[in-house]
Order: sequence, then structure tokens, then C-alpha cells
Amino acid sequence: MVPDAGRQARRGGFAGRLVRSEYFVLLLCALYALAAYPFVPVLFSAEVAGNMIADMSPLLIVAVGQTFVLVIAGIDLSITAVIALSAVVGASIMTQAGGYLPGNGGVLPAILAMLGVGGAVGLLNGLSVTRLNMPPFLVTLATRMFFAGLAIWYTTFHTTSSSIADLPPLFTGLYDFVVLTLPIGESVLTLPLLPVLIAVIVVIGAHVTLSRTMLGRWIYAVGANRRTARVSGIPVESTIILAFTICGVCAALTGILMSSRLQTGSPILGENVLLDVIGAVVIGGTSLFGGKGKIVWTLSGVLFLVLLDTTLKLLGASLFLIFIIKGAVILAAATLDTLRNRIFVEH
Amino acid sequence: MSDNRLTLALLRLAPLLLFVVIVVAFGLLNERFLSFGNFRNIVIQAAPIAILAIGMTFVLLIAEIDLSVGAVMYVGASLVAIYLEPATGFGFTDPNLWWPLSLAVFVATGMIVGAVHGLVVTSLGIASFIATLASLFMLRGLAMFLSNTRTLQFSREIKDINRWEIFQIVPMADRAYGVPVAILILLIVFFSGWLVLRHTAFGRQIHAVGEDREAAKKAGLAVKGIVFACFVICGFCAGVGGFVAATQQGAVGPNFGLQVEFQVIAAAVLGGVSLFGGRGSVWGPVFGAILIRTTIAGLTFVNADPYIYPLVTAAIIFLAVAVDGLRTRMIERMSRRMIRPLEAG
Amino acid sequence: MSEARPLLSVSGLAKSFFGVRVLHGVDFDVFPGEALGLVGENGSGKSTCVNIIGGVLKPDAGEMSLNGAPYHPLSPKGAASAGIAFIHQELNLFGNLSIEENLFIERLPKHRMLPLIDRRAVRARAVQLLREVELDLPPTTPVARLSQGERQLIEIAKAISMNAKVVIFDEPTTSLTRHEVDRLFTIIARLKARGIGMIYISHALDDVMAVCERITVLRDGAVLGGGPRDEFSLARIISLMVGRAIDTIYPERMVPPRADPVLRVEGLAQPGVAKDITFDIKEGEVVGLGGLMGSGRSELARMIFGLDAFSRGRIIVGDKVLANPTPREAIDAGMAFLTEDRRGEGLLMDFSIAENTILAALGRFARAAGMLEWRKVVTESKTMAGRVHLSTDRVVETRAKHLSGGNQQKIVIGKWLMRMPKLFILDEPTRGIDVGAKQEVYRIINALVEAGSAVLLISSEIEELMGLSDRILTIYRGELTGSFARAAFDREILMGAVTRPPRAEAG
Repeated sequence: MVPDAGRQARRGGFAGRLVRSEYFVLLLCALYALAAYPFVPVLFSAEVAGNMIADMSPLLIVAVGQTFVLVIAGIDLSITAVIALSAVVGASIMTQAGGYLPGNGGVLPAILAMLGVGGAVGLLNGLSVTRLNMPPFLVTLATRMFFAGLAIWYTTFHTTSSSIADLPPLFTGLYDFVVLTLPIGESVLTLPLLPVLIAVIVVIGAHVTLSRTMLGRWIYAVGANRRTARVSGIPVESTIILAFTICGVCAALTGILMSSRLQTGSPILGENVLLDVIGAVVIGGTSLFGGKGKIVWTLSGVLFLVLLDTTLKLLGASLFLIFIIKGAVILAAATLDTLRNRIFVEH
Repeated sequence: MSDNRLTLALLRLAPLLLFVVIVVAFGLLNERFLSFGNFRNIVIQAAPIAILAIGMTFVLLIAEIDLSVGAVMYVGASLVAIYLEPATGFGFTDPNLWWPLSLAVFVATGMIVGAVHGLVVTSLGIASFIATLASLFMLRGLAMFLSNTRTLQFSREIKDINRWEIFQIVPMADRAYGVPVAILILLIVFFSGWLVLRHTAFGRQIHAVGEDREAAKKAGLAVKGIVFACFVICGFCAGVGGFVAATQQGAVGPNFGLQVEFQVIAAAVLGGVSLFGGRGSVWGPVFGAILIRTTIAGLTFVNADPYIYPLVTAAIIFLAVAVDGLRTRMIERMSRRMIRPLEAG
Repeated sequence: MSEARPLLSVSGLAKSFFGVRVLHGVDFDVFPGEALGLVGENGSGKSTCVNIIGGVLKPDAGEMSLNGAPYHPLSPKGAASAGIAFIHQELNLFGNLSIEENLFIERLPKHRMLPLIDRRAVRARAVQLLREVELDLPPTTPVARLSQGERQLIEIAKAISMNAKVVIFDEPTTSLTRHEVDRLFTIIARLKARGIGMIYISHALDDVMAVCERITVLRDGAVLGGGPRDEFSLARIISLMVGRAIDTIYPERMVPPRADPVLRVEGLAQPGVAKDITFDIKEGEVVGLGGLMGSGRSELARMIFGLDAFSRGRIIVGDKVLANPTPREAIDAGMAFLTEDRRGEGLLMDFSIAENTILAALGRFARAAGMLEWRKVVTESKTMAGRVHLSTDRVVETRAKHLSGGNQQKIVIGKWLMRMPKLFILDEPTRGIDVGAKQEVYRIINALVEAGSAVLLISSEIEELMGLSDRILTIYRGELTGSFARAAFDREILMGAVTRPPRAEAG
């Protein structure tokens, strides 16, 4: 008989189990924080922790959306354009300086429109990939150019300045709607609860969807092997379209939170988020080739990136140093991932 | 059957037809658009992207990607602006030396970065998308460090290259046109790229590696060496393209080369280069870059709102990719119809 | 003739994988100008042998000599330069390059002065080589445009150009038309005349008998018999290969087919693929579909299952009419389809047994809002693993890619059994799996059929079709050419029916 299950690699004992673990990157985060502590003791203060959690929320939501697309073996470069376009469309509806529905009454329609923009762009991406047989990279490259351009153009019809301001207080207050203020020791934990709550809901919802539902199995199967999925009766095209739509809606959600925080609808909002998002997801260990990825991983990756950002800023590192280190970390994460696969998992 | 072949041929030529339509349409709207001088300008403006896209083609041909080309441009420009500045630089006093030196700096930067990518991809087995994404971060950081995020002015001697022309042989009504440096460099890169890809063993082996890497290994090709070389060539072209762009712009700010990688990939894809390897030529990227530039020039001629330029460009790219996707699907469908006529002859 | 010194001599070849011996001291000789037929069932060690000779694998023990000198290839490249050419089943050509470029890709001749390809030299050599393999095509033709048979000739031409002394053919005829097979044999004869030795591996024993001067039979990694062809009959080879008489492999079925049709295919047609195909399958019936590679048998199955489109006709499963089915509709109607390409279309290789097993029956495990009952998934996967005799019940921990071919196939079968299909289409269910697993697959099929399901069985092995089917349909170039009841099964007649056009057309 051919040796079967016995061949399944179980190498490395405790170290192996640790490195293979779901929580490996989370563990790295903890190690990193401990290592950084002597240099930036404030890292462990409630104030900094609160800021970090607040910073994480928008990035996390858009990264969760990207995870869906990466798992079905796609990629979505258009997320930044979605963030920007939804920001200006929403702002143009509710702005008190000549919006379509100025004032607090326009907030709900504006939010719906923003989510609608995200869903529509996602849907367009998904349809192009499935119906027109276009590679996801190129589809979303083109829609990214188009909708980023559209966001800027659209802005010129509504304002002479670079972004649409004068948003109603209900909207700008969303971000700080309920702020948890909790003195812990000498510092104060300040946490805007609404964005954190939304992020938590998105993360839990996505995690449950991917790991516990039928849709989750569809998504993994389509990403791992589209042909097998098709033969097994999985609606491949709908699954792909849905993943892109989810990604678009997540990006729009991020657009809502970011523009509420900045109190303006800017057409260049989130311009630099793309690399962070893909970087975070890759650091987490999600594969760019599909079929492999978890929300826990994405959460760890985003946490790591934000932790890195925060410590570097606290250390007074310049923007360029942060860039260099982020790049190095992405490269290191990718190297680590291939190495741990090579050493501990395969044969 | 012949209907299908006709449709396929039309789909294949779609980008070219699109180009003709654009030229004719803008020509009808404004006849000056069809002037020689205008086309000359279009090619000059398209040159940096075209040069970068030729390099990108080498990488795309082996089914890899390089997202760092824009960052390479920025690093090269920062190095040149700082170290070849008469005041702060290494004190090369002879201005005649400045442009060859700056070209050398650009090219060396690109080739070193390309070599690192080649090593990382071949020896560590990291996907080039991630490796070059990481170096995009690092190189932009490095360039910001070098330039301190200031806007850097190039010395006059470097900027002037942009106005040089050689072979003043095309006498036109107003003045004698020569071949501008940008076009000359583009021609040299294009011609060398064409020779390498079509007429050297290395070039044909690149196609083989891109078509089927496993088969190439089995056939005894030095796959790792070929992959490495393609990244170095891409870096080389990024350096040269960066040089041309820098001379054209005269000064570089922190946005220099930002997201150029996307334009470059778009140009290559417009010209029929496949992201999945094995398919593409050096004609494609040059055509793609010129098509994009022509569109923008046309829009300028008809005084279109500058904000719609990226929209139109994106729409063209989308269209070209969609047409290519449909064509691929049609070819797949047609290749299925082989069973019965197989033995008919 | 056989007094000549052997060209390639192999003795005592042994090899183990993961502690399991797959070759136990194999000996054979290849003589110049002769072909050695290497036959044996899947898993008998043929591929391991030739992979060692071709430099792909290293032997644990044993000696090889080539032309009298010791031969120890370190890599495929080393083997090639020593004069061994290996023509794999999956051809090693580049579709985007021309014929001439493919012939010389790793050693394209350079121009005298310039670092460019000497196109003229390439062309001249290519034209000459193409003439030797009787391929009348311009050497600039892209390989993507060639048929499978033509591509194989390019590989042979390449072997000639490398001055190969020994050419290894691995299943060269499986994807060829009869005409192409004849041409291949002519060229093999020509290679023999040049003194080239050959190792010829094939399941098509008729071909082996026609081409080879010598035959070596392998079973379980050992040589069971070898010698000149004249000492062998087809029956003897088969009994050596299998180790027992054929009919005992196929278990009896106790329950005869019933009268109600499960599947009716009416006038199915698609230009270039299928012409006016009509047949039915009854409850409890196994219908075999016999045809050569490329005869349209798999395509027919794919159309019935909704994977490929068809232009006319309809498919009726039970009382459901499918005019334009999708796989989803086909599955809902009660069909299951084990495809030919196990790794590419049957399994998610990186996923666990459980994840693979539930894939086609997810609805069964879903509660409100599509939430899966994971505990039920695990218990039912374990039950299924037992039912198909999987080698492990660690269904959550074990990934499909870590299992042997036979066990992988059982997962695919288990996946479909989860749905209790009314009609199970099996396309080459036993390809590439060992005898033990084969028999288990047969038993599973029989149990399913006895429970009232129907099976459409596609197989290249006529014996398998004859052993399992109640009825055999033959297909040739997308057209049904015959229907044979079990009483009328005859190897010769069936072979004839799959290799000949229907009578009306033959004229």
C-alpha cells in the first residue's frame, strides 16, 4: 500500500505547531510589542492603545473585503477609488453647501448611496471578471483609474475647492458618536465606539461567513479550484461576483468612516490605503493565488501594520523610514511564509 | 466557421481599429491634430511610458510582474538631482559629463533593483507581485529620504537634453525637424528589445519560460537565469525611462513616478501583452503608450475637461482588456470543436 | 539478431519511496534497432524504471550501462546528453514558439559574428528533421496549431536531432488517431533501421505486440517475465500482469437492471463534437461507453452533465427535462460526474478529506442562514470514508494531496455518494490507481447499482467495460456506432466498433 496519512507532515514538534498556528502573526505582534516596549513605553498606555484601535477600524474593514476577493483568487485594486468616490458622492448629497438633500435629513440617503457606490463598483468588477472573462488585476486596474478620475471630476461640479466640506453635524458626529472615556492608571482610554463596533461586526460577520457557512465553502472552493467547484455544482460566477461586491461594500464602509472622521468628502480619500491593505493581508498569510486566507489572519496583519506604524511614529521616525520598514516587513512576511511552508508543512 | 475567424481577427485588431477611430475622430474635430508636429509631440510624450513598458514586457512575458518601476524612477531622479547638482554634488565640473553620468546613475539604479528582484524571486521563491510591492514601499521611502521630500530641480545641462535633436533631416514648412532625444532613446530601446526577443536564443527562451515554466526546466533551460535577466532588463528600462521622464519634467517632486507602474502595465496590456506569460512583443507596449497619449492629446485639442482624461484612458484600457477576454473565450470555444473534423481529411 | 551487445542494460534496479519499495531488482536489456515493450498495470513500476533511466529519479541500488559503459544520469539533462531521449505522455513543447524553435530551444545555433540566432542553419536542420519524421509542415508553424500526433512527431524529431541512442516512449498512442498511430509506427520502424533502441510503455497491448521485438512484464516492481515477443501471447501477458485470470477481478452483481429509464438522451448534437446521439440508461444498469481517446466520449458526458453546451437535443433525467443544463441543474436532477481529470476537476488538493467530501452536498449540512453543522460534516465524512474504504479516517486533518491516487479517487466517489445519485457518470474511474483500489471502486459501483442507481461508465480498457457493463455503447468521432448486450460482448468486435466509422459512412 502507498503510505498515506502517515506522510502528512507533522514535523517540527512544538516549534512546528507554533509556526503553523493560526495565531502565528498574532504571536509575532505580541513579541514585537514586547520588544518595542523598552523603547516606547507609552505603547502600552491606554491612550495609545485607544488610538491604535481607532486607527485600525477603517483599514480593517477594507482589508476584510479584500480578503474575500483574494480567497477567490482575485485581487481588487479599485478599493481606493471606491473609498474616494463614495466619499464625494455621499458628501455631495448631504453637504450643507448646496447638497441635494442638505442637512441631517440627507445623512441616511447619503450613507445608502455611498454603500450603493461600493456595491455597484464591486458588482461591475465581478461581472467583468465572470461575464467578460477579464483578469481581475486588469479589471480593477481599469476601474480604479476610471472611478478615481470620476471622483475628482465629480467633485468639480460640487465645489471649487479640493473637497466637499460642510457636512451635516449628524454625519461628522457619527465617528465620535459615543466615545468611551476610561481612565486607566495615569492615561485615559479614548475609544470612538461606533467605528470600532462596525469593524467588530464586519470582522465577526466575515469570519463566520468564511469559516462556518455554505457561502464560505463556495468561496474557498472557487478560489482553490474553479473547475472542481463548477463540477461540484457550486455557482462559480455568482460566488465571484458576490466576493467582489462584498469587497466594494466594505471599501465604501471605510469611505463612510474616514470621511466622517475627516468631516469632509475628499476625492483623494484613501489614496494610499491600497498598499497598506494588500501588505496587511499578505503579512497575515493570505495567498494571492486563491483558496487560502482567513479573517483572523487579516486581523493579525492589520494589527501588525498598525502596531508598526504607531511605534515608528512614537519613535519619531520620518515618513520615509516608515515606508522603508513597511516594505521590509512585507518582504519578510512573504519570506517567512514561503520558508515555513517549505520547512514545516510540505513533505 | 469563417464567421468566427472573421470575428476573431476583428477582436484581435480591435485596439488598432480603436486607434484609427480616435485619430480620425479627433482629426475631423480639429485638422491640426493630424499635423506632423503633433504626432511628433505625442511620441515624445509617450516615450517614457513606452520605454518602461518595453521593460515590463520582458517581465510579463515570463508571467511575472514588476510594480516597482515608478519607485525606481524616483530613486534615480533623487540620486541624480542630489549628487550631480553642481553645488552639492561630487563636483563634476564639466557640464558635458552630466547627462551621460545621470543616465548612468538612472540605469545603474534600475539594474541593481532589478537584480535584487531577480534574486528574491528565484532564490526565495516569493511571488514577484509581493516582492516588487515591498520594494515599491522601500524605494519610495529611500527616495524620500534622499530628497527629503523636496522638489528637486535638475541642472540646466540635463534639462537641455530634452531639446536636443539629431539628424535634422525632415524639413517642414516652419523649421527643420530632427529626431528628438526622447524618440531616439525610445527607438534604440525598442530596436534592441525587438532584436533580443525575436532574434536571440535568450529571447526565444524567454517565450518558452513564459509559456510553460516546468517544461522549460525539463528542456534544460536555465530558467532561473532567464527570470533573473528579465528583471534586470525591466530595471534597466525603468532607469532609462526615468531618465527621459526626468529630462522632460526638469524637476521632480515626491509624486514623481507615483503609480506609473499601473500606466505601464496598462500600456503593455493595451498592446496585447498577456499577464499570464508567453504572449507579447515590443511593438505592443509602444503602441499602447502611444494610443493612450494620442487620446489625451486629442482631448486636449478639443479642449475637453482635463478631469475626464483618466476616465477616457481607463475606458479604453477596460475595452481592450474586455475584447481580449472575449477573444480568449472564443478561441477556447473554437478549440473545442475539433473532435469530428479531426480525421475528416 | 539478439547476439548483438545490448545498447542499454539495466540490472538489479531498486527504488523505495517513503520506505516502501516500488522496485525490487529489475533487469532488462535494450538492443540496438529493437523496441522493448515494458508492460504492467498502473503502479507496477514501469514509470519509476524509465524515470530512473531518464535521469528524473535516482535508484537506490542497481547498475545501468549504456553502450557498455557505466551510465549514471544525474539529471534529465545528463540523460539527454548521454543519448537517452524521453518522450513523455505530456509533451514538452511550447505552443507559442514555432516548430523549428521548439526543436532547438535549448541550443539555438548562433550567428557567426552576431549574438543572434542563425535562422538559416535552424531552418535547414529543421526541414531535414521534419522530412525524417514525415511531417509536411513549414518549420515556422507555431506548435499551438499542431495536433497531438504532430506534436509527438516534433518530439521524435528532437530526439533524432540530439543523436539519441535510446528513445523512451511513455504511452505514445493514447491521444492519437488511428492514422497518426500508423504513422508513428512507420517512424519507429525507421528509427530501428538506424540502430536506435527503444523502450515502449503502453497499456495498448496490441500496439506493444505490433511494435516491440522484446517484452518485459512488470508486476509490483518485479520482472515477472521477459523475452522475445514470439514467446508471448496476449493472454499470457495479461495473466502475468494481473497475476490471476481477468474475470475474477470484476465482482458479480446480484440484481438485474429494471425497466424504468433513469436517463434518456434524445438527439443530442453539437457541431464538431456530437452527432444525433440517442440512448437511455435504466435503473440498476451499468452502461459502458467505449471509444478511443478523442472519440467524443468524455465530451458526451460533459454535455449530459451540463459542463459543455450543445446545440440540439435534450436530456431527460427521471421526469425532469434538461434542455440546457448547468452542472447545478444536473446535480439537482440526480446526476453525479466523476471526471477524467481527478486533480484538476475532482478535488481541492489542498483541502481536507471532509471539505472535499461535503462539496457537492453542502445543502445537507446547512441550517438557517447557510450555517454549516460542522459536527455533522465530520461524522458523515467519517462514515463516508468507511463506506468507500479510505485508508484513513482522519478526515479533518488529512489533505487530499497527501493521499495516493486510489484514495483520492475514493474521495471523489464519496463526494458524489453523499448525494445518492440516480445516475453516476464515471469517466475513467480507475485510471492511475492500483489493482486493489480498482477492485474496491468496482465494488462501490456495484453496491450503488444494486441499490437502484444507474451508471454510465467510460473507460479505455475494454476488459473493464466488459467486466462491469450490462450494455456497451461504442462511440466513434462523436457518433454512436453500436450497442451491445452483455451476451454479445466480444473483445474483437468491440475493438472494431470503436476504431471504425459507422457502416453508412464507411461505404
